[in-house]
Amino acid sequence: MAILQARRVTKLFGGLAAVSLVSFDLREGEILGLIGPNGSGKTTLVNVITGTLPYSDGDVLFRGGSIRGLPPYEIGRLGLSRTFQIVKPFRNLTVLQNVMVGALFGARGGARELGSARRQAGEVLEFVGLAHRAHAPAEGLNVPERKRMELARALAMRPTILFLDEVMAGLNRAEIDEAVELIKRIRDRGITLVVIEHVMKAIRNVSDRIMVLFHGEKLTEGLPEEVLNNPQVVSAYLGRRYAEQAHA
Amino acid sequence: MSIKRWARLLGGLAVVLFLGAAPGIVSAFMVQFLINLFMMAILAESWNIIGGFTGYASFGNVAFFGIGAYTTGVLLTRVGFPFALALPAGGAVAMLFAAAVGFPILRLKGHYFAIATLGTAEMMREVVYNLEFTGAGTGLVMPILRTPLTFFYLMLAILAAVTLVNWWLSQSRFGYGLVAIREDEDAAAVMGINTPLYKTVAFALSGAFAGLAGGVYAYWITFIDPDAVFKVIITVQLIIMAVFGGTGTVLGPLLGALVLSAVSELLATQLATLAELFYGLIIILVVLFMPKGLSDLIRQGGLSLRYFARNLREYRI
Repeated sequence: MAILQARRVTKLFGGLAAVSLVSFDLREGEILGLIGPNGSGKTTLVNVITGTLPYSDGDVLFRGGSIRGLPPYEIGRLGLSRTFQIVKPFRNLTVLQNVMVGALFGARGGARELGSARRQAGEVLEFVGLAHRAHAPAEGLNVPERKRMELARALAMRPTILFLDEVMAGLNRAEIDEAVELIKRIRDRGITLVVIEHVMKAIRNVSDRIMVLFHGEKLTEGLPEEVLNNPQVVSAYLGRRYAEQAHA
Repeated sequence: MSIKRWARLLGGLAVVLFLGAAPGIVSAFMVQFLINLFMMAILAESWNIIGGFTGYASFGNVAFFGIGAYTTGVLLTRVGFPFALALPAGGAVAMLFAAAVGFPILRLKGHYFAIATLGTAEMMREVVYNLEFTGAGTGLVMPILRTPLTFFYLMLAILAAVTLVNWWLSQSRFGYGLVAIREDEDAAAVMGINTPLYKTVAFALSGAFAGLAGGVYAYWITFIDPDAVFKVIITVQLIIMAVFGGTGTVLGPLLGALVLSAVSELLATQLATLAELFYGLIIILVVLFMPKGLSDLIRQGGLSLRYFARNLREYRI
């Protein structure tokens, strides 16, 4: 059954439709890849769903109930959590304290005391492979470490659905392979994922299904192989001429 | 709780007890100095809740001080409340005012918030100027209480309470929420923190303690007028104290109030007219060489050239 249902979600910035009439179902336990060229509305769609931006139109149902118009913190408490494409670390806190905030707040039923939050945060850091940096100040982390901390904070919230906004950007090939493994292990914990990514090889490996946005509209949706071989998708990414050659 | 934490609490208790015994030892002048010091420390510590932990630089906290002073004053002289009721009422009214004003203006950030709070304080001064029952521009005269030690112990007790609240913030879920808001409000919100509520509660707490300090001040000084208790310079002073000591730390603002009160008193008696100049100079040097305040200096192992050099480098001054 669909755990999240987007219905004709639309976001206008002035006259520009950043997201236009996008509908999709997210199935419980799956990894949905969300791709599209720069400016196609991927991040805006996640911002609208998680309450960071108001809707222009449409609706999103979580377990059948509308979450349109809820403030971001209520959506977080319902069990929808996210990472930011441009990471937002709490710079003056340690890595552990950053993750503790996720454990202390986050989904209902999370830790309410510092002691148990510390324990949970430690476990999550272990899980994402950042335990050795637990007591480092967040501002001292390099880019891959920051991405991991961002992921750890979101995981510590004990989400039902996790939106990952380009957690692999800026990583090298070995780090990308690790990240793919990590995302699969997150799914094995029973968390449903929406993964926004530019790295094609990674998205192909990690996704159960892929949805493509183009100029704010849904272009197509389906299994990775069929979506990535779809001439429309190829043309959206690489230009029409390349697509024609590929099919000639 | 760990042993270290108990030791700190006991240490704090010992300091409070020692200070409690102080009036028996020191001169009457010193007692007056300490009352004033406690008051500034309360204001700095209460500002720390919103300015230090939550990261919202309020330039209007003197409004809460003034509202507390006037609420207590009016209830005492016009309504005939006993001080024991008038004082908590002063704290409560300041708290409610902070919550009511805070809810809308805490949507603003950075400079805009600072200007809005500054405007709030100035507005309150004008309001009080134009109200009949507050004595308008002529001010309000309190009955004289002939036991100055009452004020000493009241200020000390309020200071202990507001310091405990700051300590609690450093140890609690609520405090983590405030710090998260300070560090990145958007991230805090998506992580499940009810940011409007948290900010408003922090502002209200800040207002409550400033209001209590104002209430004690009114009765202690026996005469208040709008210019004296809504003075912008009071806000500036208490922010300087908090920054000097270290914002967002439990004891920093207290330490800042202690050192700067002593320095300013010394300068005033030794240098008279040049006092302000030196006071300003000290503040400039502190901002340049130790922008994280006294508490960071102590934590990093005391005065050293290396510490100062590192700060200069780190903050690219």
